[in-house]
Amino acid sequence: MAGHTKAIADLSALGASLGRRDVLISILAGGLASTLPLGAWANDAGPIKLGAILPLTGPGAAVGTQQQRGLMFGVEQINKRGGIAGRPLEITYEDDQGRPDQAVLSFNKFVDLYHFPLIFSAYSGPTLAMAPLATRKEVVLINGGAQSDRLAKASPYLFNTIPVAGDEIAVLTKYLLENGKKNAAILYENDAAGTPSRDDFIKSFTAGGGVITGQEPSATGQTDYRPALLKLSDTKPDVLFAMLTDGLGALAEQLRQMKPDFLVVGTSFFNDPDALKNPGSNGWLHTQVKISAPPELAAAFKEKFGVAMEFWGTQYANAVFIVAKAIEKVIADGALITGANIRKAFFDVKTFDVMVPAVFTTNTAAMEIDIVQTQDGAHHLVKEYKAG
Amino acid sequence: MLALNLLINGLVTGCALGVVAVSFQLAYSTTRIFHVAHAGIYTLAGYLAFSMVERGLPDPFAIIIAALICAALGALIQYALYATLERRRASHLSVLIASLGVLAVIQNVISAFYSPNIIPFTSAWRGQMMSLGLTEVQVATLIVCLAVFAAALLFARLTPLGKRIRAVASNPFLAEITRLRPQQTYIIVMAIASAMVAIPGALVAMDLGLQPYNGTTVLLTATIAVIAGGIGSLTGAFALAVLITVLQNLSLLAISGEWSVGITFFIFLIFMLFRPTGLFAQR
Repeated sequence: MAGHTKAIADLSALGASLGRRDVLISILAGGLASTLPLGAWANDAGPIKLGAILPLTGPGAAVGTQQQRGLMFGVEQINKRGGIAGRPLEITYEDDQGRPDQAVLSFNKFVDLYHFPLIFSAYSGPTLAMAPLATRKEVVLINGGAQSDRLAKASPYLFNTIPVAGDEIAVLTKYLLENGKKNAAILYENDAAGTPSRDDFIKSFTAGGGVITGQEPSATGQTDYRPALLKLSDTKPDVLFAMLTDGLGALAEQLRQMKPDFLVVGTSFFNDPDALKNPGSNGWLHTQVKISAPPELAAAFKEKFGVAMEFWGTQYANAVFIVAKAIEKVIADGALITGANIRKAFFDVKTFDVMVPAVFTTNTAAMEIDIVQTQDGAHHLVKEYKAG
Repeated sequence: MLALNLLINGLVTGCALGVVAVSFQLAYSTTRIFHVAHAGIYTLAGYLAFSMVERGLPDPFAIIIAALICAALGALIQYALYATLERRRASHLSVLIASLGVLAVIQNVISAFYSPNIIPFTSAWRGQMMSLGLTEVQVATLIVCLAVFAAALLFARLTPLGKRIRAVASNPFLAEITRLRPQQTYIIVMAIASAMVAIPGALVAMDLGLQPYNGTTVLLTATIAVIAGGIGSLTGAFALAVLITVLQNLSLLAISGEWSVGITFFIFLIFMLFRPTGLFAQR
């Protein structure tokens, strides 16, 4: 780093003495400067610029737009309070349609072209695709939405501000077994988010004495679950564990038509507006990371976007507050705002007492997880489980 | 009971897919254009019906109007795009790429105007249960799609226009000489095929909801039915579409859904090795 700075100074001095070669020298100096570590220019008074790669179109857009609203709201709140150590925060958005290949392209653009030291991500597939690049390029990835277990150890630079699915599933299976539900069928999304969750559920449920009566996959964006539901229903389960990130509205409708005997259970992904609206989701039981915004923030959110502060909006707004705290620590230490320094700050701060408290002893936040039940479009608390 | 439920579900889905296959067969065997944009028209029909139902129109009228709009769009695509490309001697590959472009445009326009998300189709008709675990809209899908297939067969065999289409499909050069006006016939065929595909497009959307990208997989399966059924055979396309869907459903009795699509198509792969011209190939 010092070597780079000295080299630029030497080139500039040389340029001044040679006169006619000024332009060439400037180009060389500029080229050399672009090879400096990310965020090398970040300690000025300008805005702190970060990136976000979200599924803003395609089958995952329902969740992606909620996440974007959360980020926008978080940024607005931080800037209203004077920014981070007096510097405004900015986030640039890219749409990856929930596709890993598109996410990688956007990641490279953000890092190589804009030199962002930190990028928000969503969905397991894209985040897992970006994780090795984050390690190699020392860029912090913040995932506030994806919950695949593989994310927990995917990269030292990947921080999950939401517990991974395995944590929620452990709580869910514990509750089910405590309440005498011993037979479970599984409907899972056949992708990076769904298959590890299926495996977690099987491991955790059978370890407690439960029996898996059947399992069926579905594709992302699928809307016809009837064949799978008919088959799984025939195995006479007590519960159906549905691990879907999309299409829960269609599932609710088809279950409403079928009127099955089993209880439908799941994780935080059950926070799907279309499913909640459908009477077919009445009685669904699911885990929910305890995350709720203070009333004044929820009111400000509603005023800004015209919708209630949804689960994913709250998650991503909270992620912005966590990131702001980490960057504040970097600035307070007099260090450059680089991915490596932000990563170090996460573990230095460890306990983030922000909108929703989160503790980082590993790269994944520990939070309280509740069991809630859906009824008439709202969630009702059934039982609380403490973090860890 | 499970087998019966899966069979019935397969028949309903298969009849809807059968009409998609028959309409694609009609368009392809006449124009020889691999009309991928057909998937976009299938999807668009659902959204058009949705908009009209939202504005208070009864479901059957919404389907009819959606079919008419889709017919006009199909005719426009043939007149403004495919015919122009043919006049400019574009290759089959160029036409295919153009059709893919139209599909992408339709999907993006739907996504921009409505939403990229899955939208539930809330009509009073949808969701009412009848016997055998079927909903009203599923029963309607079964009856209407069988009726559309029968009508397509009668139209192709008995009406002067149907005979003209078959003549053009059989030999466009001779049709040109005998003043059957192939280009005009192509426009009519595209309009009919688009109106036909709009019917399952709207009915399936009423049953399962709307998604801008759902037409592609449907068309892929329908295309396989067209090829395996035999190019030029409406009966072959319909029968194979129903057979594929029923097989996919019934395969769940023995294997996981993860494998059902792969194994079903593997069986057809083997079948095609022995009968490459298809089951109902026209001589």
